[in-house]
Amino acid sequence: MKPSSICLPKSEIPLLLSGDMPPDEAAAAESHIAECQSCRSVIESMIADSCWWDDARKSLVASATRSPFQVEVTHDTEPATTSKLLDLLGPTDDPNMLGRIGPYEIIGLLGQGGMGAVFKGFDRSLNRFVAIKMLLPHLAASGAARKRFAREGQAVAAVVDDHVMAIHCVDEWEGVPYLVMTYSRGISLQKRLSDNGPLEVREILRIGMQAATGLAAAHAQGIVHRDIKPANIFLDQNVERVQLMDFGLARAVDDASLTRSGTLAGTPQYMSPEQARAETVDHRSDLFSLGSVMYAMCTGHAPFRAESSYSVLPLITDNEPRPVREINPDIPDWLCVIISKLMGKQASDRFASAHDVAELLEDCLAHVQQPTIAALPHGLVEKSVPPCYLVSLSLHWSLCHVRCGRFDRRGNADATTGQIKSKQC
Amino acid sequence: MNDWPETSESLILRVKDPADAAAWSAFLAIYRPVIYRLARSRSLQDADADDLAQQVFVSIARAVEKRTPAADGPPFRAWLYRIAHNEILKAITRRKPDTAAGSSSVQEMLYAVPQRDSDASVELLREGRMEAFRWASDAIRHEFTLATWTMFWQSTVEAQTVEVVAKSHGRSSGAVYLARYRVMKRLKEKIDEVSDIWSEFT
Repeated sequence: MKPSSICLPKSEIPLLLSGDMPPDEAAAAESHIAECQSCRSVIESMIADSCWWDDARKSLVASATRSPFQVEVTHDTEPATTSKLLDLLGPTDDPNMLGRIGPYEIIGLLGQGGMGAVFKGFDRSLNRFVAIKMLLPHLAASGAARKRFAREGQAVAAVVDDHVMAIHCVDEWEGVPYLVMTYSRGISLQKRLSDNGPLEVREILRIGMQAATGLAAAHAQGIVHRDIKPANIFLDQNVERVQLMDFGLARAVDDASLTRSGTLAGTPQYMSPEQARAETVDHRSDLFSLGSVMYAMCTGHAPFRAESSYSVLPLITDNEPRPVREINPDIPDWLCVIISKLMGKQASDRFASAHDVAELLEDCLAHVQQPTIAALPHGLVEKSVPPCYLVSLSLHWSLCHVRCGRFDRRGNADATTGQIKSKQC
Repeated sequence: MNDWPETSESLILRVKDPADAAAWSAFLAIYRPVIYRLARSRSLQDADADDLAQQVFVSIARAVEKRTPAADGPPFRAWLYRIAHNEILKAITRRKPDTAAGSSSVQEMLYAVPQRDSDASVELLREGRMEAFRWASDAIRHEFTLATWTMFWQSTVEAQTVEVVAKSHGRSSGAVYLARYRVMKRLKEKIDEVSDIWSEFT
């Protein structure tokens, strides 16, 4: 449409702003204000004086940068170049090595993410390979992040569980903290998903169950992971073992980002709604993320996707993801039920503990592997159930939901514990 | 770990008038992060900062309970912010700036005196205003489509030029201006609901 050269009458402006103007007039006004500086100033001053505009802009910028996660990932969170990382290393006498971190000879760079770089190292005294994770130098500039990284590392080092990647040592090299972990061959779940797409039900249950077990061990010590996502779930090569990595590191990065640009390191796709709202989180936040990971295993991609990290956040807090079975019809109904319970928007809608989830998934796995011997856990319906039975059961379900909902508001989180398991079909 | 939702709900019950209750819940949403952040900036640990915020709200809630509104007195909202500012300043300035061991008793006494340091007061205002904008923008965001909101945000907060934003969304510049104006108009209305936060004290 050719921009109209006639300026907007003042009386029309409120209509335009509230969206009550007829569409064709609004379109004309829209193309007019693009060209007309004086109309724009009139509208601006009708909304508020210039002081307020200034104030609003400054406060919004400040509130956005104060928030641990904000807008797009910008250039300065791009992974440091390899040469920059190599500058971190000390000199070595061994011509086959890249350099040295503390007592460890560094053989190569295994990978790097938004917050740290992982080196393959060799521990001479124990004659074994290790993986060394170092906080990225620009994050290590923040004292709070450094301390947090070290503190959380120490806390996780205290968790001994088959499904939590063991931390042997937490130390500092030239002012940058690092963690020493077992070196094992394998790939992350993220790589598996991007290479192979959706997994089979049995695999989903196996990985979900082991991840939940690892979480339960950490939660038992009061440690919340905060950053459960496929990239942090490690699959051992050839051995059917799943390990969680990078506990609490997200928090260390939060600290650093607060003092820096406030940009979001990494992806928020697996964040829980409470994290997306920057509220305090507890162990149930990890359960939401676990649900999102299981969703990703079923469908091959994260439940909430958007063009920028910033636009993912409102999707997480307000939207329901596309039903799993629309994308992958091979997934049984009961698995969808488990996933959507894990992904409850309210923490109280989810399972009460990672332990419960692990047990439930274990029972389901037993059923999938030996359907004739192990029955599905009570409350998870199979399709072969006669229709009338199904109706009464779903009624039972909704009653339970109502009841539990009321319990939860009184703060009785245990009410949800046995919800799925205790229901008699 | 965190009993906030329960606390704020039970505290809200003490505020009978629905309009007052709305003011109270806006107040909680805005001031909880403010107190937390002020406390953290004074070297309190995460849990201690939460505790401090909790204490402040409990003492404010007590004041709310005792309040007998006079016909000619200030409206609840204005009254609440005045009480709150006093309580918050008292709490954060009375706290020792760090919790290192081995303090002398004289020092203890000095810290026990609530000092009206003007820094804290200025900081409180600034943080309160910033948090109010965050609260308001969170509250109105759902009224707009994602595209409108993103165009507003990128062109206004992120300071990208209108042309660039328009191009990246495949819309006209006019659409970007309109998105900015529509959101800002609502933001102004929302902010006006809690504008006592700074108008009372400046």
